[in-house]
This record gives sequence, structure tokens and C-alpha cells, in this order.
Amino acid sequence: MRFHRVRVESRERLGSYRVLRYPWEGDVEPGQFVLIRAASQRTSFDPFLARPFSVYDLRGGVMSVLLEVRGRGTRLIASSEEIEVSAPHGRGYRPDVPAGRVALIAREGKVAPLRLLYRRLQERGVDHDIFLQLAAAQVPILRDFPGARVVDDFGDLSGYAAVYASGPGAVPPGIPCQVAVEEMMACGEGSCYGCAVPLAGGGYARACVEGPVFEARELAWI
Amino acid sequence: MDLNVELCGLRLHTPLVPAAGTHGKEAVQASEGVYGAVLPKTVTPQPRTGNPPPRLAETPAGMINSIGLQNPGVERFMEELDAFDTGVPLFVSVAGETAGDYSLLCGRLAADDRVRAIELNLSCPNVERGGLYFCAVPASVEEVVAAAVEAAGGKPVLAKLASEGAVEGAQAAERAGAAAVTLINTLPALAVDARRREVRLRGGLSGPAIKPVALRAVYEAFRAVGIPILGCGGVATGTDVAEFMLAGATAVQIGSAGFVRDPREILREFSGYLRETGLDARDLIGAAH
Ligand SMILES: Cc1cc2nc3c(=O)[nH]c(=O)nc-3n(C[C@H](O)[C@H](O)[C@H](O)COP(=O)(O)OP(=O)(O)OC[C@H]3O[C@@H](n4cnc5c(N)ncnc54)[C@H](O)[C@@H]3O)c2cc1C
Ligand SMILES: Cc1cc2nc3c(=O)[nH]c(=O)nc-3n(C[C@H](O)[C@H](O)[C@H](O)COP(=O)(O)O)c2cc1C
Ligand code: FES
Repeated sequence: MRFHRVRVESRERLGSYRVLRYPWEGDVEPGQFVLIRAASQRTSFDPFLARPFSVYDLRGGVMSVLLEVRGRGTRLIASSEEIEVSAPHGRGYRPDVPAGRVALIAREGKVAPLRLLYRRLQERGVDHDIFLQLAAAQVPILRDFPGARVVDDFGDLSGYAAVYASGPGAVPPGIPCQVAVEEMMACGEGSCYGCAVPLAGGGYARACVEGPVFEARELAWI
Repeated sequence: MDLNVELCGLRLHTPLVPAAGTHGKEAVQASEGVYGAVLPKTVTPQPRTGNPPPRLAETPAGMINSIGLQNPGVERFMEELDAFDTGVPLFVSVAGETAGDYSLLCGRLAADDRVRAIELNLSCPNVERGGLYFCAVPASVEEVVAAAVEAAGGKPVLAKLASEGAVEGAQAAERAGAAAVTLINTLPALAVDARRREVRLRGGLSGPAIKPVALRAVYEAFRAVGIPILGCGGVATGTDVAEFMLAGATAVQIGSAGFVRDPREILREFSGYLRETGLDARDLIGAAH
């Protein structure tokens, strides 16, 4: 895997989230992810693997990711001036939807992949509503999702033409739904088959190549 | 400074080879001539869906995997083989449950001109011998290598072994006609989730954590057999490549390190080592003995 060393340009706290920004030339699809590690990991191999993060936003040559500190890897990344990043990978959301209003839903605070998607839908004039399941410490993220509603559950989504989800969970029957999943990854580029996601028809897909965004009906666990 | 090595009658323009199961076609295509040969993921006679997740755990300087040899089966694999053609010799890794499976796979692969050598992944249960790994029983190694060599009709057969019993296994493989041995496969490992009080993953350990174990296996096998050795296990830097060759490896496989490093950098570091020492790659082989 090819990593690029970049300097973190800015770092901002929004409740329990942190936004990291770094320079990046190139394009990205909403829902794609990057692998990130602290620069020190290159030679220390400690932690050994880089960590996957959804692309949060990309504008004017500045990439942002939204991270929550979970364990050693995220703690180290959050406090590093210099990080190493991969190019964006994977299959993102495919916002080629039937005409009509669409819903963007984030389960358990997994809002990151929806930000760029929401901006792109907005640019294209697609009508949408955003529903976010947030813990109290996550509510400050609403700054980046103007108009979004904080919900405990998503209620009846049957009036929408399509649903774009982040995080696993029940899907409204009969509505086209794309969902972003998080699976542990090693290579992030299709080599190791470590990021297996069970498919409805049997067998597994790789979250890093065939995903991380899937048609919800393709997946076994929904 | 000359990077060329000769392995089983093939000229490799560098001594680096991807380790089976760690370099998909995207990674191979991105490696831009770093590798002296290409080696895709192990293929079995029939498709295998692989193990349910989780399949990965991280360890200090390494990782544990339990993929379960997910692969599309030999027929589909052959249809997609051109994706691995990068102009360097193509090796194919095979596995089965019986000596007959290995022999069938070798026959099928040997008939294809694109395949230049076959590596037997012997870290698999032998269903005809109570499910013990082939590589754990020298008599099994000898039986399966002999069957594979016969079916391969002159194409080089490499036997990939575990660290445990590496010397006896390498000797058995040599007796049975193997052209080379690959040392080592992953080490048996376990990850336990203390919070949930349950096993998280039972699988194989790889990465820099296993390098000293792999070096020892290469070193001892070099003294015990006359056939070439492909060193494998924890190689992550150019110096690691040199160390494996000094211990006795003719070529060196890059596995998990490919997930966290650009193999072009590893080759650059190794070239730097050769330039500094004024040696050619082939001068290193076994020079620490
Ligand atoms: C496609 C994708 C997109 C993601 N996007 C984001 C994001 O935008 N923001 C964010 O905060 N987090 C995101 N995550 C989750 C993030 O990668 C994990 O929180 C992080 O890897 C945890 O590492 P750690 O060392 O802090 O935690 P530890 O618990 O110490 O990690 C131990 C191991 O488990 C793995 N792991 C732990 N939790 C997860 C998880 N939820 N998903 C995958 N692997 C995990 C780690 O990679 C590591 O190898 C994403 C994960 C994936 C797969
Ligand atoms: C994710 C993963 C998948 C692997 N798959 C295979 C495989 O299909 N066949 C095989 O012979 N070895 C397989 N291995 C073992 C490697 O080829 C190699 O022997 C081992 O990882 C030690 O080398 P390393 O420390 O450089 O990774 C796999 C290893 C990893 C990490
Ligand atoms: S992380 Fe290796 S195949 Fe997806």
C-alpha cells in the first residue's frame, strides 16, 4: 500500500468528534474511505496497521476526516502533527436515484460518510432530509449538517424515494437503500480478504473493494 | 550492484516475491517491477467461501488472520490469471485436502504456459491422515510433494512449510523432488477478548513479530538441504531482505508488510544496502553461515 505523508493543517473538536484536515489533490466519491496512520507507525510498526476513515469532506484541496478516539490507533492519529494517508478507496454511494425526496440516516453517530454526500446532493438540488442518531456528546456535529434532525429511531421512511444509510440496521422494505458498513481492515485494497461482509445470497464481499457502501438488500445482516 | 538471482532455473530480476494471499491483482499491478516473480493467493480445486468474520486481529508489530482460503476455485482462477501477468515469472500457490487434490491442481496448472512454478501451501489439514497439517508430518510432506512433482511434469514445485518441523519438512520435500522450499507460513496464534471473556480469533500470526522465528527456520534449513529457500515471515525493510538472504534465502517473500509499506521502498532500501556493501544480491545467499 502506498502512503503519502501529510501535515495536519487543522484540528478541531466538535463534541466527541475531531475533524482533521490535510492537503489532498485528487477527487473522491462520497462514502469512500482513506487509511490513516501516525507518521511514527511507518518505522515502529506499532500499531502495525493503518486505520480506515470515511472521507468527511474535500474542498479546495483540503481533505477532512471526522474521527472519534476509540483505542490506541485513533488516539495516536488524533495527536499527531504528521500523518500518513492512502488515496481514497472503495465504492461509495451511487446517488443515481429515482426522482423524489431522499433520506440520509446515520446510526450510532456514524455520520462521517453522509457529509460529502449531503453536500453533493445539495449541489444537484436533490431534496433530502437528514436523520442522525447521536449521543449527547455528539450533538455539536449538527453544525456541519444544517437542518438535520436528531432522532432515537428513524420512524417510517416509506415516503422516501431512496435511503442512504451509514451503519448497520433494519432497512425500510421496498425502498432503494445504500448502506455504508465498517469492517476491520488490513490491506484496504482487496488483497487480504480480511474485511469480509456476509452477503444475502451466501458468501462474502470485501468491504474495501465491493464496499464500504453496499445495496442494503445485498447484505445478509440487515 | 546486481539484484538478479536465479531460482529453480528461472532468472528473477529482484529477489523479492509477494507472499501468497497478501497481494491481490491491484497490489501486484501497483508494484511496478519490484517483484522478481508474482504469486497470487492460494487456489483450491473447488471454490471456498472462507471463514465468517471477524477474520483479523492486530498484535504488537503484527496481525492474526483467519481467512479460510477464500478463493474462486481453480477453474475461475485460471480465467482471471492474465490480471497477474506483469511480465515476470508467475508462480501459483495451491492447497487441497488430499495428496490427490495437490496432484490434480499441479496437473491443471502445469498444462498452462503462463504458470512457471507451483508453490504447495502445506499448512492445510490432511483429511486422509486424521486432519493433521501436511507440513506437520514429514511422511505427508514427502507423499504430497512426490505426487505434485509427478503431476507437474518438470515445472518447479516449491513446498511451503511451517516453522515447526521446518528442517525435517524441508528434508522430506527435497527427497520427494521439490525444487525449493518456502519458509515460513504464519504461526498458530490466538486473540482473546478480555472484556467479553471469549476467544476473538484463532488464526495465523504474521508481520515483523515473527521475523526472528522465520530467520531461524531459514538458517537451519540452509544447513540441512541443498535446494534453494524462499524466506518469508515479517520481512518489512530492505535490511530484513538482506538478513534473510544472509541466513540462506535465495529469494524473499513480502507478506503483511505489503499492507503497511510500499514494496518499492523496500526494494530501494535493499538496493541501498547492496550499494553500501559493494555486493550483488546473490553474494548474500547463506553468507552468515
Ligand atoms: C470503511 C470505514 C470507515 C470508517 N470511518 C470512520 C470515521 O469516519 N470516523 C471514525 O471515527 N471511525 C471510522 N471508522 C472506524 C475506525 O476505523 C475505528 O474506530 C478505528 O480503526 C479504531 O482504531 P483504534 O486503534 O482506535 O481502536 P482499537 O479498538 O484499539 O482497534 C483495534 C483494532 O480493531 C479495529 N477496529 C476497531 N473498531 C473498528 C471499527 N468500528 N471499524 C473497523 N475497525 C475497527 C482497528 O482498526 C484495529 O485494528 C471506519 C471504519 C471503516 C472500516
Ligand atoms: C491475510 C493473509 C492471507 C494469507 N493467505 C495465504 C494463502 O492463501 N496461502 C499461503 O500459503 N499463505 C498465506 N498467508 C501467509 C503468508 O503468505 C506468509 O507466509 C505469512 O503471512 C508470513 O509472512 P509475513 O510475516 O511477511 O506476512 C497469508 C497471510 C496473511 C496475512
Ligand atoms: S482490507 Fe484487505 S481485502 Fe479488504
